[in-house]
Amino acid sequence: MSLRSLFPKPTRDIAFPLAGSVLLFGFLVGGGLLYQVILGSGTAERLVTTMLIDAIIVIGIQIYIGNTGILSFGHVGFGAIAGYVFAVSAIAPEDKIKRIPKAPFGLTDVQVSPGVAILLAVAFTVVAAMILGVGLARSGAESGAVAATVITLALLFVTHEVAKSWSELTGGNRGGLSFGIGESLDGRVLIFVVLFLALVVARLYGQSRSGRLAVAAREDNLAARAVGINPLVQQMVALVISVVVVSVGSALRVWEIGSILPDRFFFDYTMLTLVMLIVGGRNSVTGAVLGVVVMTASRELTRRLGQEGFEVFGIGLDEEPLDWIFRENLNNVVLGLSMVAFMIWRPGGILGDWELDEWLYRTFGRGNEEEPERLPELDVIPDAQFTASGIGVAFGGFQALHNAGLSAASGEVVGIIGPNGAGKTTFVNVITGMVQPDSGSFAIDDLDLSATPAHALARAGLVRTFQNLRLFGALTVRENVETAALVAREHRADRVVRDPDALIAEAGLWELRDRRASELDYGNSRRLELARAAAMAPSFMLLDEPTSGMSNSESLTMIEQVRHMAATVGAGVIVIDHDLGFITGISDRIYVFDQGQVIAEGTPTEVQADPRVQAAYLGSAAVT
Amino acid sequence: MTQLLQNIIDGLGRGSIYALLALGVAVVFGIMHLLNFAHGELITIPGYLTYWAFNHGWNWWTVVPLILVSAVGSSLLIERIAFSRVRGAKDFTMLLTSFGVHFIVSALFLLYVSASVKSIQRPGWAADTVALGSLRIEIFDLLVIGVTIVTLLATTWLLQRTMFGLSLRAAASDFEAARLMGVNSDSVIRGAFALSGFLAGIAGIFWLMRAGSVTPTAGIDPMLKGVLAALIGGLGSLRGAVVGGLVLGLAEVLLRAWLPEGIQNLTTGFVFVLIALLFIFKPGGLLAVPQVERV
Repeated sequence: MSLRSLFPKPTRDIAFPLAGSVLLFGFLVGGGLLYQVILGSGTAERLVTTMLIDAIIVIGIQIYIGNTGILSFGHVGFGAIAGYVFAVSAIAPEDKIKRIPKAPFGLTDVQVSPGVAILLAVAFTVVAAMILGVGLARSGAESGAVAATVITLALLFVTHEVAKSWSELTGGNRGGLSFGIGESLDGRVLIFVVLFLALVVARLYGQSRSGRLAVAAREDNLAARAVGINPLVQQMVALVISVVVVSVGSALRVWEIGSILPDRFFFDYTMLTLVMLIVGGRNSVTGAVLGVVVMTASRELTRRLGQEGFEVFGIGLDEEPLDWIFRENLNNVVLGLSMVAFMIWRPGGILGDWELDEWLYRTFGRGNEEEPERLPELDVIPDAQFTASGIGVAFGGFQALHNAGLSAASGEVVGIIGPNGAGKTTFVNVITGMVQPDSGSFAIDDLDLSATPAHALARAGLVRTFQNLRLFGALTVRENVETAALVAREHRADRVVRDPDALIAEAGLWELRDRRASELDYGNSRRLELARAAAMAPSFMLLDEPTSGMSNSESLTMIEQVRHMAATVGAGVIVIDHDLGFITGISDRIYVFDQGQVIAEGTPTEVQADPRVQAAYLGSAAVT
Repeated sequence: MTQLLQNIIDGLGRGSIYALLALGVAVVFGIMHLLNFAHGELITIPGYLTYWAFNHGWNWWTVVPLILVSAVGSSLLIERIAFSRVRGAKDFTMLLTSFGVHFIVSALFLLYVSASVKSIQRPGWAADTVALGSLRIEIFDLLVIGVTIVTLLATTWLLQRTMFGLSLRAAASDFEAARLMGVNSDSVIRGAFALSGFLAGIAGIFWLMRAGSVTPTAGIDPMLKGVLAALIGGLGSLRGAVVGGLVLGLAEVLLRAWLPEGIQNLTTGFVFVLIALLFIFKPGGLLAVPQVERV
């Protein structure tokens, strides 16, 4: 895989994220050092060090949660695994013998250098993450992201439980494991380096092919699969990278504190890191960094307010009645309240999806952009033939489809029409892989596509749109189309893969290219879905009611746009619609469905003249 | 053989409590797609009230109604304060809201009661056993299993035979459609939370009797058991929740019995490995509910 296929636009995808990481690093470290200088105390120094380590771990968690949208409670559990592997392998035997004289596998006598111990910690944790990741992915795909979340929560508890009860190895809940005096991490250079690398990794991953595909699946899983993305693969990649960062951060945390206890990597720390992440805005690395700073400051403030003898304007906060609020453990209440309040009033966090380097790039990085030229229609259309035959589907005793079939050639527009309940939707569900037929099969050329998962259908060249619009809402118009192009460049390289910008212009969306898809009106959303489908370089586009909700004049323009867009990528079109005027206007051939069967097939004129069609369709359904 | 039977009865006793918790989780999940990580607080809050009541001369006969009432009340109150504001939000938002509620409640107990363990006097007969052939069965287990069966029958009757049950099931299968058909969404949701609280209350009675104490974080364990059991059974299935609870209880007891001496304290870890394997091979849980993707 070349660098270019990972990062299509190096300035935007590498240079600016690097610059953004430098700025965020400067913000965190510079701000921290400044605070330290102003306060000039040892406590301030400790606070800043803790904040920087927390930042590493929160950035690591952001890589998974931010890009996949799956809530994980388990990352601190992974941190515990890393922390213990690090502690057990890095602590000197003479220190271990006091706490864990009978460690299994002779681990009491083992010692490696801290650097090697960090690598070991990462390796162990990544293996654990990959095993768990399979379960996460599979149950997530089957029962939704909620199931995945519960599994991560269970992981957190189990690591804690094992750390507590396997005391021959971990030192248990009382003593834990400690470094000898003077052996814990000295100086902060290593923390700076790791923090910077964490920022770079997080931002580069976000801009990378995998990150973009994961984010698309986060926004709409079904639509992502319809443009050939396999969400499970991208979620696994995100999990592994995120766990690497969290492991290194956790090892540093243990090394810096000089000891590890089960409770240090449990509920409270999970809560703290999650609140840091969501307060700033989980979908962006800038948000994660901001959240770390905001929560560190607010915790420090609450801690000080809760201390004895603290006064504001001469009023002691530890006197009645204020001592009812300002107490020592107030921090946990503040954490919980922050979480609930943000979820209720601002679930996207302070920054939402705003990312520093993306903003910098839009403002300073790309200069003036010219609207691309109109795309030429292809002179030679690559040959392809879609055939579906003998399709039968029964729901209980109801025969929804019986021996239905259809064929379409590339360059052709084939319409499907029929009254309600005729089996159109079921037919579409079959050829998009949503419903398994009881009999029959469908194929492009010789490639049988029955029983093919949705993302593989798209890669094979059958790309669909959705009746009720499924766009990647938080992504811009341009990112929506680019995402499909990323997949097309890898899986559709034998076809003409068009430049995403040109397709955007073709759909009449050039002026709106930086808008988020969720902000578009209905007609523009439809056109964006069409452009996104075309960006897949499909052999066949399957349009599911592309004019539903449109006015008559809008559907007439749509006819032109669909035909032209298809011709520029050389795709055949299969289109389903209620609107007889639209279907006869756009189609070269029409299939008429009634009661689960194809009752007529031919050119629009032939079909309209067919008496069976008039009886079944024109006679019974309302025609406008 | 005797030993196995003995373990199975122990497991069913434990599993019954999990089943009640899981059913409460599943009822709420079914109606608003909220997985309630604060479900354990429906045991913690009554737990502290129980502690208070015993210190004021109450006994178990009077405490039982107190637990039930306070569990239902807490469930409704939490719904009113927090969950009603995130109805229809993304899963992510609802999950973190419930997690936050859990955290706030335990932090408040930590702040205003104490971090230390508060003991609750266990009923005198809790450890008594009856002999049945060579089996020695704890009266407590028998009581738990019996009460659970009665509760499940009553719940089934409620869901299948009453107007409330019908609205609840309708709303669980298609919330929007049910609302349009005239089901009052507010009262159905509150009803679901009340039922969930009641089930947690029954489970809570036995949980507190067995634990004999309460701490600020005491809700974590029952919450986790309930949520895991609901997941094992298959999210969205009420029957699955009950099955999941029983399976989880049996798995814990049997594993502890079968694991060799030295590693018995790692039972939880092994249970988790089993659960992870279950999800790899049967990702939808034991009684998977097919997820309909609406296009």
